[in-house]
Amino acid sequence: MHHAHIDKFAYQDSVIHRLDSRVKFIVTVLFTAVVISLPRTSVSILFCYAVGPFAVLVLAGIPLRFVFKHILIVSPFVLVLAFSSVFYDRSIVRIAFGPFLWEVAAGWLRCFSILGKFIITMMALIALVSTTRFGNLLCGLQKLGFPNILVIQLGFLYRYIFILIDRAHHIIRARSGRKLKNLGVRREVKVAASMVGSLLGRSIDTAQRVNIAMEGRGFNGNWHSLSRLRVRASDIIFIFLAAAFTAGLFIFVKPILG
Amino acid sequence: MSKAVEIKNLSYKYPDGTTALEDINLSIQAGEKVALIGPNGAGKSTLLLAMTGFLRGSGKVFVDGLEVNKKNMRQIRASIGSCLDNPDDQLFMPTLQDDVAFGPLNMGLESEQVEQRVAEALETAGLGEMGEKAPHHLSAGQKRAAAIATILSMRPKIITLDEPDGSLDPRNRNNLIGLLKKLPQTLVIATCDMNFAFAVAERAVLTDGGRIIADGDVEKIMLDEQLMTKHGLETPKRRG
Repeated sequence: MHHAHIDKFAYQDSVIHRLDSRVKFIVTVLFTAVVISLPRTSVSILFCYAVGPFAVLVLAGIPLRFVFKHILIVSPFVLVLAFSSVFYDRSIVRIAFGPFLWEVAAGWLRCFSILGKFIITMMALIALVSTTRFGNLLCGLQKLGFPNILVIQLGFLYRYIFILIDRAHHIIRARSGRKLKNLGVRREVKVAASMVGSLLGRSIDTAQRVNIAMEGRGFNGNWHSLSRLRVRASDIIFIFLAAAFTAGLFIFVKPILG
Repeated sequence: MSKAVEIKNLSYKYPDGTTALEDINLSIQAGEKVALIGPNGAGKSTLLLAMTGFLRGSGKVFVDGLEVNKKNMRQIRASIGSCLDNPDDQLFMPTLQDDVAFGPLNMGLESEQVEQRVAEALETAGLGEMGEKAPHHLSAGQKRAAAIATILSMRPKIITLDEPDGSLDPRNRNNLIGLLKKLPQTLVIATCDMNFAFAVAERAVLTDGGRIIADGDVEKIMLDEQLMTKHGLETPKRRG
C-alpha cells in the first residue's frame, strides 16, 4: 500500500536540501519560537513572517499544494481552538490599517493570530521535513545532544507508523467485507474494541520481533548512524539570512505594522 | 569439516504447555546449505530461534563450537545471523544504508570499515544504488534482499532464514535463489515452499510435530512422495 509520505520530497536535490540538518532544525525551532511569541494583536506582521518559510519551500521546489494539503489535514484541532476564542473574548478593540479604522471583538484578533501562527509554523515544519531526510534529521538531533532514547523512539515511530496504518487498513477492510448491516451502537463499539485490541496485539508481536532483529545484530542501546554531517559555507549563509530576516522583521517592520 | 551448528537433545515447550520441539538432535557442517522443511506448526521457526539463542529449552545447542548461553552470546551473535520471516521486522532504521550498517557499528568497527562492508553487502544483495532509500520505499523483493544484506554486512559464518521466499513473485524468488546459492556461508533455511528448498539446499531436514522425521540428501527426502504427502507436503519439480 502506498502512503502520501510527509517526507516524499526529502530525496530531491536543491540548495535547501543540501543544508546541514542541524542548521535547518535549529533555524526552524528558533523561527517557530519567535512567531509563537508574537503578541496576539500582531496579526498584520504574520504575513511578513510567512515570506520566510514560503521562500524556503519555493527554493526547495516543494509544491505548495502538498504543503497546504498537509496543513489542512492537521488543522481541525487548531480551527476549533481558534474559532472558540471568538466566543469567549468579546471585548471590543480598534484596529487600524492605513486610513481605515475598525472596531471588532478581540476574539477575532486572537482567532486570526492563532490561525496565522499555525499556518506559518506548519509551513516551516513542513519545509524542514520535506527538505531533510529523516535519517539525517535523527543524526542531527543526536549530534545536537538529544537523548538516545528519544532519537531511537523517533526513528521507530517514523519506520513503523506506516506499517501500523497498513495493518489498520487491512483490519478495517476485513471488517467491511463482512459487514452486511449495522449492528447497533453497543455491538459496533464492541467490534471496534476488538479491532483495536487485535492491532495492539500485533504491535506487541512486531515489537518483539524487532527486538530479536536488533539483539541479533548486537544492539547495546546506542543509536549509530553512518550519516556524516558537516557545516559548510552555505549553512553559515543560511543562518545569517534567517537571522537577518527574523530580526529585521522584529526591529524594523513590527513598529510599523504592530 | 568443522561443525557450524550442533544440537543435542533439545526440547522446548511454550509457556501454554504446547510442545514445540522434542528431543532434537542435529549436526550441520560448515558451508552446508540445509533446508528445514515441514508443515505449518512443525517447529521450524522455533528451532531457528533456539539456534540463535532467542529461545532456551532443555538440551544443548552449540554454534561454531560455542555453547549457546548468556556468557557466549556476544560471540554467538557475531557468528550467526538470523533473517526473520517478515523483512519489515528486520528493517527498522530510517535508511537502508543505516540498517545494513547497524550490525557492523554495534560490533565496534571503524566508520571506513563499516562503509566498505555496507557497500559490499548491498552489492552482493543487488541493491548497490539503493543505500539512501527508506525501507518503506522498497518493493517486497528488495526488502527481502535488504534484510539479507543487513546480515551479510556482519560477515557471519552461519545464516538462518525463516521463510525467505514468502510473498515473492517468480522473478524476485529466482533472484533470491541466485543470491543464496552464491553465498559461501552455512545456510539454514526454514521454508514450506518445496521448490524453493529444492533449488537452494543440498540437505533437507523434515520436521513435524516438533520432531525431526527425516534428515538427508535433498533429492532423497524431497522426492519421496509417500514421505512428503504423509507430512502434509508436496514433492518439488525436478531440477533442470
